[in-house]
Amino acid sequence: MQGHLLQRLFTGIPTLFLTLFFALPLGALVMVSFWRTENYHLIREWSLMNYHTLLVESAYSTFLIRSLVMAFAVSIFLVAISWPIAYFIVRSGGRYKLLLSLLFAVPFLSGEVLRLISLQGLLGPVGLVNGLMVELGGAPLRFIMYTNVATFIGLVYIYLPIVVTVIYLSIGNFDFRLVQVASIFGASPTRAFYEIVWPLNLSGTIIGFLLSFIPCLSASLAPRFLGGPDGTLYGMSMSQQFGESGTWALGAAMGVALFLLSLLLLIGCCLFVDLRRTGFTGMGRA
Amino acid sequence: MTVSLRHRLTKYGLLGIVLASYAFLYLPIVHITLAAFSKNSNFPYPPIWSVASFFRLASNTVYQGALLNSLLIGVATGVLSTIIAMYAAIGVIRYAGRRALLFALFFSAPLFIAEILLGISTMALYFVLFDMSGNLVAAILANTVHCFSFAFLIVGAQLYRHDWRMGEAAFVLGAGPIRTFFEVTLPLVWPSLLGAFLVSFIMSFNNLDISFYVLGATPTLPSVAWGALRYGVKPELFALATAVNGVIALLMGLMFALMRTGMMKFGYRPERE
Amino acid sequence: MPLSYSSTALERQSMPGAMTTSPAKKPNVVTMAEQQWDAEKDRDGLNSYLTVSGVSKRYGNVWALRDVSLTIAKTDFIAILGPSGSGKSTLLRLIAGLDQPSAGGIAIDGSDVTKLPPHKRGVGMVFQDFLLFPHRTVRENLAFPLRMNGSSKDLIAERIDWVIGILSLEGLADRYPNQLSGGQQQRVALGRGLVAHPKLLLLDEPLANLDRELRQEMEVEIRRYQKRLQIPFIYVTHNQEEALSMSDRIAVIHNGRLETFAPRREVYDSPATPFVARFVGRSNKFTGIVDRQAACVRLDQLDCTAPLPPDSAFSDGETIDIFVKNERVRVERAGNGIACVVQDVIARGPFDEYILVTQSGLVILASLRKDQQTLSIGDQIVANWHDRDCHLFPSRPAS
Repeated sequence: MQGHLLQRLFTGIPTLFLTLFFALPLGALVMVSFWRTENYHLIREWSLMNYHTLLVESAYSTFLIRSLVMAFAVSIFLVAISWPIAYFIVRSGGRYKLLLSLLFAVPFLSGEVLRLISLQGLLGPVGLVNGLMVELGGAPLRFIMYTNVATFIGLVYIYLPIVVTVIYLSIGNFDFRLVQVASIFGASPTRAFYEIVWPLNLSGTIIGFLLSFIPCLSASLAPRFLGGPDGTLYGMSMSQQFGESGTWALGAAMGVALFLLSLLLLIGCCLFVDLRRTGFTGMGRA
Repeated sequence: MTVSLRHRLTKYGLLGIVLASYAFLYLPIVHITLAAFSKNSNFPYPPIWSVASFFRLASNTVYQGALLNSLLIGVATGVLSTIIAMYAAIGVIRYAGRRALLFALFFSAPLFIAEILLGISTMALYFVLFDMSGNLVAAILANTVHCFSFAFLIVGAQLYRHDWRMGEAAFVLGAGPIRTFFEVTLPLVWPSLLGAFLVSFIMSFNNLDISFYVLGATPTLPSVAWGALRYGVKPELFALATAVNGVIALLMGLMFALMRTGMMKFGYRPERE
Repeated sequence: MPLSYSSTALERQSMPGAMTTSPAKKPNVVTMAEQQWDAEKDRDGLNSYLTVSGVSKRYGNVWALRDVSLTIAKTDFIAILGPSGSGKSTLLRLIAGLDQPSAGGIAIDGSDVTKLPPHKRGVGMVFQDFLLFPHRTVRENLAFPLRMNGSSKDLIAERIDWVIGILSLEGLADRYPNQLSGGQQQRVALGRGLVAHPKLLLLDEPLANLDRELRQEMEVEIRRYQKRLQIPFIYVTHNQEEALSMSDRIAVIHNGRLETFAPRREVYDSPATPFVARFVGRSNKFTGIVDRQAACVRLDQLDCTAPLPPDSAFSDGETIDIFVKNERVRVERAGNGIACVVQDVIARGPFDEYILVTQSGLVILASLRKDQQTLSIGDQIVANWHDRDCHLFPSRPAS
């Protein structure tokens, strides 16, 4: 059957690629997590030691919980701020809609390191904000650098573009005539938002949330350069396992834990969200 | 008239939030651009103009080598991601049938996996299983996995709106499948391919999380910048960031110009207004 | 046989069919029709259930509606008929409250609603694209208006059952809109419009996206519901067959202006303006020159005349348009009339449309019932028509 063959050919290539370079590495990671490291060498002895360490040593659970809280706070904040932004651009942007949304997306392309550099320039002890304070005769603000607040600001800064873009795409494809219909049938503007606009954009909102939550959970650079001594986050600690401490197996175990957590979250969202109730009518064209 | 007053207040309120967000996003960039072009780089208000940091940057050989590597990674990743994404998009939209959603989810999966996981898992694979140290190829492949998902969505978005009947018309008129692709499909969908390439290039060029773990000693621009950041060397970094931003701005300007001349739409449908 | 002016034409004098007044005076036509209407109905306030007064709407520099006035009674089924872009949907949106008029006012059931937002007006609406809420089941779509106005659960259940009953939606209540066919979706949309017993129902080309058989079925159904519910239905369409078959009165809108607002028979038989004459029904249009001395109009290229009513304001020698409906053209083998040759026949279901060509090359279209005539291409025949079937209008540049 020619159709079947074509399917195999076209979807097969990417599938093969992903399997080799995505699934397989993850598998390798799982394998490594069961081994252990000694003196910067990986010893292929199977054991659950790493997982045991993770569960037992309180530092790691602290990191994890701190990361969860931080990621959650950042993501909720991002969704909350992206909605008004995206809504405004879609409704009042006119022919500049695309430009306005791209202007939000562009900073994302500078890469994390450079953006953190920029942010440091802004928030740092000798950066813009503090310099301004000094010029104006005040004292530099202590709390905006090397604290959790700074990490929060940094993460918001890094992931704002992506959440705005995702929610913009969702609202941009929303048929606002349905709001007019709702208002004819008696819904006040607030009610119409709650009953019509929000549910039909829920899948976009959730995707935006996840696209910031999951990377935030594993953030390593932002907490390192902006956070304080008590601000070590999970991702940061994980990267240290591969860097300074050379305990790769433990790092791998942390990675696997992170992966499982992300998976759990994704599955949870899928189960929790009934696609029907968010107006998803299938992959085909209407 | 309270209804329209409310409307206007809401509108201005939203506008305020949007403007504040733009300021938040671009202020740091503006700041370091000024800092890069001035002597008093820590607080360049008013700036004492000088391009000294750029010269220092340009003559720094470490940066030069790193730049080359980053360019290599960027171009290779861009090309690879775009091509594979094209296969994926065509496959899902045209040929996947019932399993389209499944494939689409699988191809989008890398988006939801932390970049750092991609980096360390790839490293685990190479180092552990094959006992190889990191190299450029590994970095390219790992970056491709991540960028592929983005590329897939970009190309997919345009292909979704593509009218395949034109290809069928070409078949009826006697063109073979390859000919049809190059003469009918490609001329219409090339904007999304270009967009996918640009996005993949830029993301992998600037990437640290993935490349860092797989490269070993090979320097890339972000990793050198990271190193310098740790040791606190500032002015060249600002110059570097400004240079990169400048290139990105140029590329965005290119895309925007294409949009204005109507060659790329990116889903802007005026009839919907 | 000179076509003479018959006495039946005098009956039309109260309706100035020969429109020679300038556009600014057009509302006179409407007012006179309204006066006739009012005289026939009882005056207990039900007459003016919906009043649109001097409504205009401007978008930027474009006037979508200009000075439109209508009065609709509670039991009316009104069709708003007009070509695409004429402003008919705009009028509907203004009545619903989705837009504000640039001038004029709207009153429903005695109270001025011009400044009222749509969710407080209590109207129902049915759309061409159905616009059902995709994330809600049929039952929930139907319940929506009732939930918005705070009805009790019992009332909601009761009304939903009622609507499902009258619209034959049994078994579909728990499906989602994308699981329904076009006809089913439209019935649900209709149900949603009616479920809260609105003050009036607005229908914006609701049957345009259905196929023909379904459309004809729904036309009858919609008419029945209106009779049953005794609330005004305002039905916007560009399809005159629909308008003529479903409505009591028709408002014809063209370029934002109300051309006429009259009972359907009148709109068809006695068009008030040239546009109505052209747009409603299928008509032949001839040009002719007025001859006041002979009290007639000499038709160009045809060797005949049309009678000129004595009170008409045409000046001598003026060129005017004469409209004759296709089905009013009578065809005979021989006798008085215009000599023509049958050039072609187009079968249109119960009617055959004959393309007749005169000796001078003028084309006349005649619609004849199948059982009336059996003519063949090439036949030599004679065409004529009654004086009363001529509608005279001043010549207008094609708009």
